[in-house]
Amino acid sequence: MQTNNSLWELFQKRGLSRRSFLKTCAMITGLLGLSPLKCTEVVAAAEEKNLPVVIWLHGHECTGCDESFLRSQTPLASDVILNMISVEYDDCLSAAAGEPFEQHFKEIIEKYAGQYILAVEGGVPLAENGIYCMVGGRPFVTVLKEAAAGAAAIVEYGSCSAWGGIQSAKPNPTNTVAVSQIVGGTTIVKVPGCPPIPEVMTAVIMHFALFGQLPPLDTSGRPKQFYGNRIHDTCYRRPFFDSGMFAERFDDAGAKAGWCLYKVGCRGPATYNSCGNMRWWNGLSYPIQSGHGCIGCSNNGFWDNDQFYERLPNIPISATIANADTIGAVATGVAVAGVVAHGALSVVEKYKRQRQSKPEEERRP
Amino acid sequence: MSVKRVVIDPVSRIEGHLRLEIKVDESSGKVEDALSSGTAWRGIELIVQGRDPRDAWAFVQRICGVCTTVHALASLRAVEDALGIEIPKNANYIRNIMAATQNAQDHLIHFYHLHALDWVSPLEALKADPASTVELQNAVLEKYRLPLSGPVGLAFDAYPKEFPKATTLYFKTVQQKVGQIVASGQLGIFASHWWDHQDYKLLAPEVHLMAIAHYLNLLDRQRELVGAHVIFGGKNPHPHYIVGGMPCSISFSDMNASVNSERLAVVDASISLGINLINYFYLPDLLAIGDIYVKKGYTDGGGLAKERVLGYGDFPDEPYNGIANGDFHKKLLLRSNGVVENFGQGLASAVFYNLEGRDYADPAILAEGVEHSWYSYPQGKSNFHPWDGITEAQYTGPKEGNKDSWIYLDEAGKYSWLKTPKWRGKSAEVGPLARYIIIYTKVKKGIIEPTWAEKMVVDQVESVSRVLSLPPENWLLSTVGRSVVRGLEAQLHAYINKYYFAKLVKNIRSGDTAVASTEKWEPSSWPKEAQGVGLHEAPRGALGHWVVIKNAKIANYQAIVPTTWNACPRDSQAGYGAYEASMIDTKVKVADQPLEILKAIHAFDPCVACATHLYDAAGNEVGMVDTDPYAIVKGGGR
Amino acid sequence: MSDGQLKAYYVYSPWLRIFHWLMVMSIVVLFFTGLYIGNPFFIGSQGLEPTYAFSERLSMETVRFIHFAAAFILVCAFVLRVYGFVVNKGDRLLPRFWTKQHWAWTMDIMLHYMLLRASHKPYLRNPLARMSYLGVYFLIGIEAITGFTMYVMVDPKSIWGQSFSLVNSLLINEYYVHLIHHYVAWLIIIFAVVHIYMAVRADFMEREGEISSMFSGVKFLAHQPVDLGEIATEEDSLVRYWDNIARDSRPHSG
Repeated sequence: MQTNNSLWELFQKRGLSRRSFLKTCAMITGLLGLSPLKCTEVVAAAEEKNLPVVIWLHGHECTGCDESFLRSQTPLASDVILNMISVEYDDCLSAAAGEPFEQHFKEIIEKYAGQYILAVEGGVPLAENGIYCMVGGRPFVTVLKEAAAGAAAIVEYGSCSAWGGIQSAKPNPTNTVAVSQIVGGTTIVKVPGCPPIPEVMTAVIMHFALFGQLPPLDTSGRPKQFYGNRIHDTCYRRPFFDSGMFAERFDDAGAKAGWCLYKVGCRGPATYNSCGNMRWWNGLSYPIQSGHGCIGCSNNGFWDNDQFYERLPNIPISATIANADTIGAVATGVAVAGVVAHGALSVVEKYKRQRQSKPEEERRP
Repeated sequence: MSVKRVVIDPVSRIEGHLRLEIKVDESSGKVEDALSSGTAWRGIELIVQGRDPRDAWAFVQRICGVCTTVHALASLRAVEDALGIEIPKNANYIRNIMAATQNAQDHLIHFYHLHALDWVSPLEALKADPASTVELQNAVLEKYRLPLSGPVGLAFDAYPKEFPKATTLYFKTVQQKVGQIVASGQLGIFASHWWDHQDYKLLAPEVHLMAIAHYLNLLDRQRELVGAHVIFGGKNPHPHYIVGGMPCSISFSDMNASVNSERLAVVDASISLGINLINYFYLPDLLAIGDIYVKKGYTDGGGLAKERVLGYGDFPDEPYNGIANGDFHKKLLLRSNGVVENFGQGLASAVFYNLEGRDYADPAILAEGVEHSWYSYPQGKSNFHPWDGITEAQYTGPKEGNKDSWIYLDEAGKYSWLKTPKWRGKSAEVGPLARYIIIYTKVKKGIIEPTWAEKMVVDQVESVSRVLSLPPENWLLSTVGRSVVRGLEAQLHAYINKYYFAKLVKNIRSGDTAVASTEKWEPSSWPKEAQGVGLHEAPRGALGHWVVIKNAKIANYQAIVPTTWNACPRDSQAGYGAYEASMIDTKVKVADQPLEILKAIHAFDPCVACATHLYDAAGNEVGMVDTDPYAIVKGGGR
Repeated sequence: MSDGQLKAYYVYSPWLRIFHWLMVMSIVVLFFTGLYIGNPFFIGSQGLEPTYAFSERLSMETVRFIHFAAAFILVCAFVLRVYGFVVNKGDRLLPRFWTKQHWAWTMDIMLHYMLLRASHKPYLRNPLARMSYLGVYFLIGIEAITGFTMYVMVDPKSIWGQSFSLVNSLLINEYYVHLIHHYVAWLIIIFAVVHIYMAVRADFMEREGEISSMFSGVKFLAHQPVDLGEIATEEDSLVRYWDNIARDSRPHSG
């Protein structure tokens, strides 16, 4: 991905002199109503390389990912949005609204075609031509396709964008899908989580700012550095799991002692995220440290892995609820009973046959 | 003279997808008509059906990530009301801390990062003199600080850790950075706004520079206010809870507990920082700008608040054993439950109606219409009590344009995915302003003997009235008033936070460390059928969740959320919704740049995903309900 | 039933027999350790008080180690199965779905098991059993794939981790891998119940040395088995050897 040219670079490319460049800067200073003393600052700004342009779209979402992004400590949100990237379009933070905002959107996707990064928060509802999420009087899916066409890369922020999210949980009333199911043909970085850890969200941009490229991705498209390990394998309570020390109920002696939450439904053993090693708020805590099992919020389709307080989900059979072990034991019991009954019948049959005369044997080939 | 129709879509710096259309008389600036339309919905109530009620909080919490936590709280209360669970004292205090933290942080981030750019401009800030800005900052802190306080039981905060930086170099450096951004031509989040609008000239450049400096400063500090969520709930947004209390066990004798002295220190520091940021940044900035606007006569935008406001009340001081049985409302610290009519004509003519206990289960009190919503009711009926509620989708598209490419929506027909909620057949405004009007009225009229918090509400209102030299009804009922009250409420909640933290510590000191009541954890201990209601005063207003549980599964789930009350479409019987009424009550100077409308709507802190998650896509009636009044939960759309 | 001319047929190679018993042992170990891992301390005071391992013998770590060791033994044991398949005709039990005969025999044995037909054709290995073996290998395969997926993802960067992570993507997420692993384990146990019953029943009803065959490799049939060509040969010297012994020793052969 290329970064944009600075004003000075544009002048150089066109063979214009340094003198004319400085003159232009002086003119800009005047236009902005700044004191002539500020001219050197304007020159410095115009010489700087432009920041990578980011367009941030919102589909079917709750804006929790925006909020999470703003909670980043390292890098701080201000450093990211003012000094690492230029967020040219974002429903949540942009000053502009309405028509000039939409106009700006059109200009940006033309001006920076093939260069901008598209960040998407939220799933894409497809039912009835996408009218269940309208932005600027158009279905979100239309806007998304338009923005994706010229994107150098797409970042799917949050589980809604990466997997479809809560609105795509059964029965998925709006037929919502992940962004990557709609657009393709470019690198897609998945940053799942509900929401993702703030520092993970900003670190994707930090990586780009530091190394000029997107972070290495795993086979699902997630940055390896943050989604490589299971929470279970990095959890500070793992030694309790290994030693077989478990909380049985919330707030019991095991819970107070901070033992493993495996038996109250923790999804840590099946969830790939950085909660265990990075934790939230620069290492302050994460759900397990606060006594609640992981609900697996960065997993594809995790909403349909409920109930969240069962190790294995209960299966509703008419009015009763049973889990896999109960069903397995019952099925095995039925099998045992079945074979015993079959055995008894077979013996009866055999006894009957033995009492009968030889001719029966002749039936055998 | 001509009437111009202006569309604002998308409305930015909000949560969710909102579209506004106004008809402005270009010569007088009068808004002849206005419509507000929620343009997205997700169907989360439908999704929680058939699931474990203990999981419901996690699902419905995702209705909104800005007012994260509020739907979880309402859901937990509804499920606990249904199952008859009384949570332990510590859990009650911790939840109150979570709620107060949410309100304080949400109000602060709303003012600086979602609302401020309607008032101040980075371009104007470039013209400021840094040295004069220092003087201004000093003057603002002297004049506009509101030195009110709640009971501060535990005060470890030796000195204000975060204080406005008032040095010339600081403002100069901020100005330089803003200048660089502007000069680079990459305005980023500041791009393409109506910066040339004349309202930005109302404030001196120094006010702009000061506010922009605080915008940046607090963008980086707001994160520290939610420490309580991260300690007690493991993360933010979307901290974790459990039915029956909180998951964060407290222990001082185990080595690995979720809550111990060190963890409480983090919460305390975070609460103290909240008080500092609100007292030294938020309120002075807000009152300084508000004062200038009020002095220049900007007291429009009051709208529906003049006629009718509604609240549910919150902060159970001690654990309660039910909501529908009335116990919840007996224990509240902030009894903003009820309806106040006619406050616009002054306190004397204001009328108060109570709202508690079984009222929330009474179909005669809450009803909804779909006259202008994309739904149809049979037999030409225009109104249904919620238990008769029918959600028959009837997406009619716009007045001009195509179904998937709108030009103008049809204000005479259907134009929103929101229904119109009604209290006794009438629209009502909810939110911080509503809560303040209700408590102010109740206390002033002697309906209630005020708690310390209610007394603080009255003190705050009267203090600001003195600063602005106006009686409350003259400044409260306006766009400025809505924003100012939000700031006052942030201050109140910051002290409520401190208050419950002290109560929590005191209770732990007495030897009680329980945070969860698990006797009714197993579904086998539940009744076969149960219904419950959960109430909460969210940052944006009164929030109610209604749940029906059958055979340990959610048979039906409904929420009536603040933004549905406020952003709903008009109704011939109930009148305009609060957004529409406020827009109509607002003067627009330049029709093509309706900055005043943005201000008015942002003052409500719109949260549209909350309001529009409600309906069943196929338009089917959702679920089954019997004759119980709780059948309010029936039906898809609410 | 017998005409006194019981004949011995050498069916199973030692490789297969060793494999079989290794499999039995490892499945028993895997099943019970697996139940424990899925729900530690499922026997006892569950749900009443926090559980903890009293000693290292019952720690999750040890139980998991046993589970993993048994899993490796089970998977490695398949080498013997394959070797037996190569060297001994009697081990080649793959059902011949493509033949009409296979389905006719299946119908024959099914009617017999449903007690609708008093007797069945003589088989060395009846086609229904042969199909069920294939089925159980398939189930074990699922267990191995899902099990190793969970096992190797401790080191996602390794070649194993990279290969098996695809299983997670394929099954939506790793939680489903856990679920499938758990359910299929129960299916294998149900197979075991039926399998043991069928062996005991055959021994009792037909006295063909069904159970002992898994120790000795030899079955005894009064009539020439119809699937002889597919599975074993009479000419085998070992068969003749066993034939003689059988003739001398089997009490009911007279």
